[in-house]
Amino acid sequence: MIARMLEAGTTVKTLMLVALLACVRTSASFAPADADSDAEAKVVAMQHMWGQAYVSKDPKALERILDDAFVNVDSDGMLQTKAEVVAEVNTSTTAQFLTESMAVHLHGGTAIVTGVFEIKGVSRGKPYAQRERFVDTWLYKNGQWISIAGLVTRLGQ
Amino acid sequence: MVLVCATSLSGSAQEAGEGDAAKAVRVLEDERVKAQSRNDNHALDLIFDNALVYIESGKLVTKGDYLSRIKSANPQLQQIVPEAMTVRTVENTAIVVGTYRETYVKDGKSSSKRWRFVDTWVKKQGSWMLVAAAAVPLSK
Repeated sequence: MIARMLEAGTTVKTLMLVALLACVRTSASFAPADADSDAEAKVVAMQHMWGQAYVSKDPKALERILDDAFVNVDSDGMLQTKAEVVAEVNTSTTAQFLTESMAVHLHGGTAIVTGVFEIKGVSRGKPYAQRERFVDTWLYKNGQWISIAGLVTRLGQ
Repeated sequence: MVLVCATSLSGSAQEAGEGDAAKAVRVLEDERVKAQSRNDNHALDLIFDNALVYIESGKLVTKGDYLSRIKSANPQLQQIVPEAMTVRTVENTAIVVGTYRETYVKDGKSSSKRWRFVDTWVKKQGSWMLVAAAAVPLSK
């Protein structure tokens, strides 16, 4: 890439920028999670992204958020892999995903997020609304937060 | 309230090939079960992180809530038998997924229910601490 840039007459300033970005990425990959001062905000943002992925039927968003070895326990107690959760997004009937509450507990490079959400949609012609409590585990890995496990359980209406 | 049958799951096929960290967490899961069977608050206090979040039957319970309930529990009313467990460790974090069967007496009749659980352990200052635990009843 750099050779091609040189051939194209790239300026020294551009090369310095590329080098700087490479350094930032490298240091982030090895930085301890404690150094991530925005950890809580980042994890909360990704939790919201997760919920919205069901509304917008965006499996690619979940591909980025979930670890390859992610495991989920759904509200029926069934175990789901990352592939199964991502596939579920494609057939989602969720029209609204409302987060009622969320709390983040940081343990160094691990974050536990608990909260309650409500989903609304239409399934087989019938509208539904379901409240669920969740607990998700996030890990600071290679410079970013990814979810490695989750569980949801139904709440009364 | 909780009588736990400390069925040892050691020696299972799942355990084969596990690293030292996973084995250590598996031992702690067994110790936790035994501590619950004895209503041993001191042992549980050492296993549970102070910021433990525990979700059971949809309710969020703190470490303090959990320990105070165990202290006053009647061990004859409920029995828990662990069935299966897998442990995955990533750096200083361990995820344990498994199932257990709960038997209890309701209105004079004995009933049972199976649960699937997810526990998260974090290694802090050399010791694995339980930071999150949650279970969902199996519908099938």
